[in-house]
Amino acid sequence: MVDAAPWWAVVTAPVLLAAFALCAIGYDAVLAAREAARPIRMTTPARPLLEVPRLLVSQPRRLPAPDALLWRTGVITVPVAAVLSTAVIPFGHVVVADLPVGVVWFNAMEVLTWAGLWMAGWGPNAVFSLVGGYRYVAQGLAYELPLMFALMTPAIRAQSLRVGDIAAAQSQVWFAVWMPVAFVVYLAGVLAFSFLGPFSYPVGQDIAGGLLGEASGVDRLLLSAGRWLLLAAGSAMAVPLFLGGGAGPVLPAWTWSAIKTLAVLALLVWVRRRLPVIRADRYVELAWVVLIPLTVLQALVPALVVLGGGR
Amino acid sequence: MEMAVFWVLAVPALAGGVLVFRCGSMARATFALLSSLICVGGEVVLLGLPYLGVVIILMMVMEMVVMAVFMIAYMMNPAGLTPMSMVHNKRGSAVISVAVFVALAAGIFLVPWPRRAGSPPPDTTFQVGVSLMGGQMLTMITLGFVLLATMVGATVLATRRGRYDRFGDDLDRRPAHDPAGGGVGR
Amino acid sequence: MDLTAVLLKAVAARPRVLVTTLPGATPVRLAAERHLRSRDLPRAVTPADADVLLVAGTHDPGLEAALERLWQDMPAPRFRAHAASAGDVAAAIETACSHLADPSEQRAHERGGRSLPGEDQGGHDAPDHASPEGRAGDHSGQGGGGMAMPAGLPMAAQGPDRDGLMLDQLHVALGPLLADWPEGLILRLTLQGDVIQRAELSLPAPRRPPSAVPFWTEPWARAAAGEQVHAAEAARRRAAGHLDSMGRFLAVAGWQAAATTARRLRDELLGGAGAASVRPAAERFARQVGRSRTLSWLTRGLGRLSSADAVAAGIRGPAARADGDVPARYRLWLTAALEDLDRLEDRRLLDPAREEPPRGRLGGPPSPSTGLAGALPRLLEGAELGAARLIVASLDPDPDEWVAQPVESAHG
Repeated sequence: MVDAAPWWAVVTAPVLLAAFALCAIGYDAVLAAREAARPIRMTTPARPLLEVPRLLVSQPRRLPAPDALLWRTGVITVPVAAVLSTAVIPFGHVVVADLPVGVVWFNAMEVLTWAGLWMAGWGPNAVFSLVGGYRYVAQGLAYELPLMFALMTPAIRAQSLRVGDIAAAQSQVWFAVWMPVAFVVYLAGVLAFSFLGPFSYPVGQDIAGGLLGEASGVDRLLLSAGRWLLLAAGSAMAVPLFLGGGAGPVLPAWTWSAIKTLAVLALLVWVRRRLPVIRADRYVELAWVVLIPLTVLQALVPALVVLGGGR
Repeated sequence: MEMAVFWVLAVPALAGGVLVFRCGSMARATFALLSSLICVGGEVVLLGLPYLGVVIILMMVMEMVVMAVFMIAYMMNPAGLTPMSMVHNKRGSAVISVAVFVALAAGIFLVPWPRRAGSPPPDTTFQVGVSLMGGQMLTMITLGFVLLATMVGATVLATRRGRYDRFGDDLDRRPAHDPAGGGVGR
Repeated sequence: MDLTAVLLKAVAARPRVLVTTLPGATPVRLAAERHLRSRDLPRAVTPADADVLLVAGTHDPGLEAALERLWQDMPAPRFRAHAASAGDVAAAIETACSHLADPSEQRAHERGGRSLPGEDQGGHDAPDHASPEGRAGDHSGQGGGGMAMPAGLPMAAQGPDRDGLMLDQLHVALGPLLADWPEGLILRLTLQGDVIQRAELSLPAPRRPPSAVPFWTEPWARAAAGEQVHAAEAARRRAAGHLDSMGRFLAVAGWQAAATTARRLRDELLGGAGAASVRPAAERFARQVGRSRTLSWLTRGLGRLSSADAVAAGIRGPAARADGDVPARYRLWLTAALEDLDRLEDRRLLDPAREEPPRGRLGGPPSPSTGLAGALPRLLEGAELGAARLIVASLDPDPDEWVAQPVESAHG
């Protein structure tokens, strides 16, 4: 089903990921313009990209007694983790590294952002920045376990941790159809680990920007880019996990992968603007008391199907 | 090739371990330990156990971040802005750690390792699962519940507030009287 | 043309603007927000992210040091623009953009801005000088005397906390200048972990000579002075005032889209739009926000203020009538704004004794906003840091009222 990696996939994957992230940013800019009643022109989706030269030329920040080593390590970790996580995501029939434990790899790379963002919050030696780092960890403790169960559910049905096998197991019906709870929890998890929209608590305005409050120049560019790359990576992973991968009529597999990824991205960007920031102290209890039992029950369904010889 | 990867991971793993004791800053010590453990995870992948290796990375990142939170909450001078030492009882700890290292290293050379019979399966995850869970399913399930009960019990014992503080003397106050409300409204 | 010049042109095409409103300059702030929104120039939340510092309003000696610190904290390329009146905003932004694009000028800034902003002021200056990001270096009055202080930062002292532990105390000042904050208000918080143990309040003193009448109470002031003011004008101003408060609250709550809508509706109202054109959008907005279960789930139980306590604190407006927590207050703003939209054609004359301005009846000192601010320390103590800004924004005192001459109501 999934081919071994041609050499060019290593280069194409990050470029493709960046392209998806840019699409999401552009769509977000169009939505923002509509809310602000600005006329939507051809340049509207591209205007946020002016941030890139703006941050490149901006002076790096220097504060009293920073931990520069951890600060820089953390800032770099976030986009790097996003790019590494795409290694196991098949696009059409091509995947960079078809690991037998692809799902766990994706999960591990996403969890790397915990360390990255905590370090990015600790580094500047500033109150609200550190509060932002703690908030990400608190949010992580809330979203991570439900997300793990959500990742596990399709793997149980496919009886494999290889992402290509999971996509192939959906030849009859998409997992999103009969694992709706896992799908929704997974999508919420994607927004949470890219700390966007309702899960932008670590960079909340109530703590003066939190994690991003002290970041300027390239630091800020890497952190902001990391958010959107993580969102794109999460959306791309949703396709083989829940939406049948590259399978689809008429068009070649890679177009179906692209169309489905863009659809998930559009949904997440739209949701991002529809909700206020969810405070982690409230979300933790919801996650542990409601979402974990729900996702455990959801994981039980494919487990019973497999035990009952549904394969 | 494998040898090269082994050394590329082994040297930073050791260096990270040494750095844990050289850093004055709790945060740096924690992440030095994390980098060491990530390298160990890579070594386990190299041994042909990708599941265990990647899970080590995943769990260690989470654990070290949570540990960093507690280290910084409860240690004096967590940023290491003034000189401090991570080592107590220097002589004793040196003796113990050298002894353990020598014992383990001697084990590597002295144990009569069996010769590989046949070829490794393409996907070792399943074998790991069977050997962990196959014969010991009951043990693993019991262990899991014991661990969970220990954690819950420790938390309940540690907290000062009980249900009478929350729900009143007749346990009929709704919503509960909490310093900070939760998300479900119990 | 060298690379820097090209990059600077990109900066000038879409700079991030840190709008800093001095008390008394609400019309300038409104003009700036409208201008930035229509030109798609995003607002910065902290100086670290800002290219332009736009100071709205006339000179204020009490905030000079805080402004200077904001400016010091801004990375180059940067420009400090000033708009004394609402009409100056567009020109000020225009000037800022042209200066940002000038490589020689920005290189000079870069050289000048290299010193550590915290160090050149001693690293632990008084909280009045605190920059919005509340550095860890802003500890004051703590232990560690006599010990060598690394990087000039004192170590934290300890104190008993809510759960009977001894924990480090952290002193953080909120204000006087923050994004979406009543400018001039300073709350000095003593934190243990996330919990606010103590909150001390300080307000800007009335100006000598007093500044102009607060923008949101202006129709009432004119009516009290004997001028003929229609009730329609007062209703329009009050609805816009509530929408302005909503916008600030929603921005703090992290719901940017809804905040933008609130501010757009506010500007349409102030621009003189008729009820027929505003009403449908306003109703949709009130439905979306007022019935949002997420928003009420996130804010319920915060900042509970009973009517009796509110009246005792000198609060007279909607905050006293709401008689409840944060959701009760923002829902009351929404219903009040919708009711006022029905009265945009009301040709009767305004009776300042019967109708109240957005924050409550004017009746000599203390002003309603002083009452609102006075209630803050009690509401914040015991709350968590994440709730502090939400509680302040749900009361939304108006800085203009602190610095203005107290208005005598018709009934004294």
